[in-house]
Amino acid sequence: MNDALIGLTLAAEGPELPTINDFLLPQIIFPGTPFAMDRIILVRVLATAIMLIVLGVTAARVKLIPGRWQAAVEWVLDFVRDQIVYQVMGENRGKRYVPMITTMFLTILVFNLCGIIPGFNIAATATITMPLVFAGWCFVQYWIAGIREKGLGAFLKDELFPKGVPAPIYILLTPIQILELMVIRPVSLTLRLFANMVSGHITVALCLAATQWFLIDGPNKIMAILGIGTFAAGLFMTLFEMLVACLQAFIFAMLTTAYINMSYPEAE
Amino acid sequence: MTFAAEGGISLFIPKVYDIVWSLIILAIVALFFYKFFMPKFQAVFDERAAKIEGGIAKAEQAQKDADAAKAKYEAQLSTARVEAAKIRDDARAEASHIIADARSRAESDAAQITANAQRSIESQQQQALVSLKGEVGTLATALAGKILGAKLESKDVQSSMIDSMLDELDKK
Repeated sequence: MNDALIGLTLAAEGPELPTINDFLLPQIIFPGTPFAMDRIILVRVLATAIMLIVLGVTAARVKLIPGRWQAAVEWVLDFVRDQIVYQVMGENRGKRYVPMITTMFLTILVFNLCGIIPGFNIAATATITMPLVFAGWCFVQYWIAGIREKGLGAFLKDELFPKGVPAPIYILLTPIQILELMVIRPVSLTLRLFANMVSGHITVALCLAATQWFLIDGPNKIMAILGIGTFAAGLFMTLFEMLVACLQAFIFAMLTTAYINMSYPEAE
Repeated sequence: MTFAAEGGISLFIPKVYDIVWSLIILAIVALFFYKFFMPKFQAVFDERAAKIEGGIAKAEQAQKDADAAKAKYEAQLSTARVEAAKIRDDARAEASHIIADARSRAESDAAQITANAQRSIESQQQQALVSLKGEVGTLATALAGKILGAKLESKDVQSSMIDSMLDELDKK
């Protein structure tokens, strides 16, 4: 109730500025149950459905001699495999992780791009949970890799007591390493992606809300000139968001690969 | 214009239903990629690689076959050339042989013909001599008888006379 009132007064006084309430939405479907959905989750489900249908049809019709669309999809797959996975871990180690990193990259990319798709207008990764779940997957995988490749003891010893460091330094270093291994890696992955999506949405929405107010709702027609400026900024920020969407998907996939690779022994 | 300051922290607290939906979606997406999407594309990548490798191998095989065929052809050609030369030489040798043969046969034939002619001349001469001897003998006897006026009755005298006469004729 209170929020709605604030919204109303804002509309009367000035532009409808985006707030963090854009990310804290009312539950629309199944409210109050564990399967409740708000707008972002609806976007996420819809984006997933679209992605699965498009890629599913592509995969079902996959041909030896690719058409344009298949060639584009293959280019992305080649990019993830060669430029991310094999680049970081090499082919021998990397083979096992290609499906995982491809899943991560493509899903995060599609979810991020929802932020600039008209109608969605919010990234499906723009709640803390979705990035956190991906980071959790990464966390589980680098622990499994470490335990499988070195054994739990050797893995923990390598991680917590890095070689070549004078013994007293471990007093400082080991707690940091524990923190790094348990918290910093997954949380940094999560926050980087989430914060980028939140700030991206707020920036774009701010530009467009200002444009709307200056050009249409505003009381002063001279200020419409400012609206042209904010519209240009909105256009630029939309394109910038496109870049950020790709970049963040790439960074997430890259860091996940790197973290898993760190669990492997140094020499193959 | 105030941001909900007390609500800010809730941005970073995962909601239960959000966790549920994130996990469900991750599971679906991962299942899709692991079980369907990646294997489909991997199969095509593998098939393509095999095709390309097969194509290269096939081209290499074809090249090898062509090289072998060329070598074989060249070998055959050189054999044929050698054979042709041999046949030509043989023919030439045969021809000269035939010519020499013919010549020698002609020569021997000629020699034989000459010899035969010689022989026939000799025999004819002999014959002529013999018949002449007889004729001359009779003629001479008759002549002598006429001259002597008496018949030389005795055969022995007759022949001894003729012989001695002929001997004399021979000596002349």
